[in-house]
Amino acid sequence: MATEIASLMISSSVNVAVIIKLEPDFSEGSVSYNSDGTLNRAETKSILGPHSAIASLAAFYSKVKYGAYISIATMGPPIADIALKQAQLMSDADELHLYSDRIFAGADTLATAEVLKNGIGKMKGGEKMDIVFSGHRASDGETGQTGPQTAWKLGYTFIGNVIDYDFDPQRRVVIAKRLITLQGFHDIIEEVEAPLPVFITIDPSYKSTFNTVSQRLAYLKYQKEAKERTEEYKKYLKVFNAEQLGVDAKFVGLPGSPTIVYKVEKIPKAKTSRKVDIVDGSDPNHIRNVIKRVHEMLGATIIK
Amino acid sequence: MTYNQGRIEETYRHLYVIIEHEEGRIIPVSLEMLGEARRIMDEFNIKYSSDEKVVAVVLGYKVKEICKELILYGADAVIYAESPELKHPRNLADTKVISQIAQDKKCVEQISPNFAEEFKKPRYMFFSADNIGRHLSSTVLAELESGLASDINKLVVGDLEIRHEHKTKGQAIKYEKTLQMYRPDFSGFLWTTILCLDNRNPAIQREYHPQACSIIPGVFSPLQRDGSRTGIILEYLPKLNEKDLKLKILSRKAMKSTVDFDSYKSVVSFGRGIKNSPEENIKLIEELAKELGAQIGVSLPISKKPYAVNQNLSSKYMSSDRVIGTSGRKVAPLVYIAVGISGAVQHIAGMKESQFVVGINPDENSPMKEECDVFIKGRMEDVVPLLIEEIKKTKPLMEIRK
Repeated sequence: MATEIASLMISSSVNVAVIIKLEPDFSEGSVSYNSDGTLNRAETKSILGPHSAIASLAAFYSKVKYGAYISIATMGPPIADIALKQAQLMSDADELHLYSDRIFAGADTLATAEVLKNGIGKMKGGEKMDIVFSGHRASDGETGQTGPQTAWKLGYTFIGNVIDYDFDPQRRVVIAKRLITLQGFHDIIEEVEAPLPVFITIDPSYKSTFNTVSQRLAYLKYQKEAKERTEEYKKYLKVFNAEQLGVDAKFVGLPGSPTIVYKVEKIPKAKTSRKVDIVDGSDPNHIRNVIKRVHEMLGATIIK
Repeated sequence: MTYNQGRIEETYRHLYVIIEHEEGRIIPVSLEMLGEARRIMDEFNIKYSSDEKVVAVVLGYKVKEICKELILYGADAVIYAESPELKHPRNLADTKVISQIAQDKKCVEQISPNFAEEFKKPRYMFFSADNIGRHLSSTVLAELESGLASDINKLVVGDLEIRHEHKTKGQAIKYEKTLQMYRPDFSGFLWTTILCLDNRNPAIQREYHPQACSIIPGVFSPLQRDGSRTGIILEYLPKLNEKDLKLKILSRKAMKSTVDFDSYKSVVSFGRGIKNSPEENIKLIEELAKELGAQIGVSLPISKKPYAVNQNLSSKYMSSDRVIGTSGRKVAPLVYIAVGISGAVQHIAGMKESQFVVGINPDENSPMKEECDVFIKGRMEDVVPLLIEEIKKTKPLMEIRK
């Protein structure tokens, strides 16, 4: 009984948000490339981005372990609700937000962060979010800027490249491990601690682990609930336009974007110092010759 | 439409380069950025008869030694902030200090008194596109309220005539001294040029400076260290309060990468060319690597698990640890064999230092060919078994020769 009350108190005490993105599906069978190697956007399906999916799983960990209230948000066209539905299935989200307005189109990362900041302020009826997650980076845009810029606009402590985290409900702090990869150095695992609220970007190598029986039972319970919820995900979905979000039109979309795409061109072939021999792969004599040269290269070091 | 170009001229000056180091050891990309900054500003100053500077910014603890080095590698001036609180990168504190330095008139006055009174922010800013710089650039530019392009591998400064629905309200307007920032897209075949431009549309007029970017490590060359170079080194006293230091670092541990490439003399890498029968083809690659004593690498698309293969192969090979390229590891073995890799620029950047490169690909037009010493035209399903057979045949002979 006492533990039940304690867990009830905790369950109402942590609010988790995830910002996600609808992206091209790069898996085989879904992705389509043009003959020149570029992505065929018209032919390629869109899904919840893989990094967004991992961020959703990180949020689910808080649901299982701490009974967190989860809100998931994205900025995009009306069809982006598909990504919200997929993220709900992975996290058992209590609330889905879609920020959709023609004036948001063409936004760069700063203008996107402005919309997301305002949206996060509307979650759970305006309650403050304790932990906000985002993916490492989008697989199509790949800037990785939107997360940290949203964090900065919210005034939250930013923790990037997180591979593992836990939340201490008593002290209201997050303890996280992050992976730092620097050119020419060994990778560094850094353990950090920060009081709430925090903004976390999740590293692709993140994995949730549930160690105790009660956690595993909770995991199954919430997973089942998530399935049920996504069957009628529209009940959980709220769509906001610019006016409902209360954003200033000057700070969103194209007017709020400092950067523009000036031009897109094919990358010219790199200048190279190598002189290439082109050989026919079906001719065993050529293959023999290639292996001879490989052996010579490798043999050279044995002598050294 | 009139626009007071002169005012912009005086308010935004110099190129600031944010230096990264690990406890006093400079990360190579920092010197690469300085090299490119020097080349750009030398050209800039001639072209515009100007005297704008390359300013390196260093945060840390006991970093005076680095400051001297940065001058020898091309900086005109170094501004450093020193405190035990800044010993290791922490996004919140570092963002505050860098943003303060970027707007500090007093530092600029000592570096270059011209227009120091009017100085508001740097004209350009460079960060590194790595785990630290990518986030730091984002938060600093959110604080300075300007634009940022990420993962850049080419930069050009020039005057551009722009006609844009929002930026210029459809009018043709000349933007002087504009930084053209080139970034390869995720496929590696398209190059997107990003510009950070003031809004000169009267309805939404707004200045966007600095023009900033994060730069891919390993792309630009550092200058030769020149012991005769001189420059100004300035200390900045950071203003930090308790709120900026909320994040505590509990421990830091260096770890060896899980996949070791450095102690192998040869590397076999594979890409999307395995697609016709992924599982069998990965097993062929494994066998080739085993016969050669090679480590196995992959191209970036493979790490996104595009094919269904058994769990064991998937977790072993379709992982970011094995990616060779700008978003993974840089390798330089004696022999590099690229199997079914088309040769995106990001991948080339990770293997171009290899001594002897063999490519296997049915498409003779694939960009990979340009980086090969030998290009075997053919399907990997046909070619790799022949290679394995040949190695098996010659192996006994090899051992005799040793």
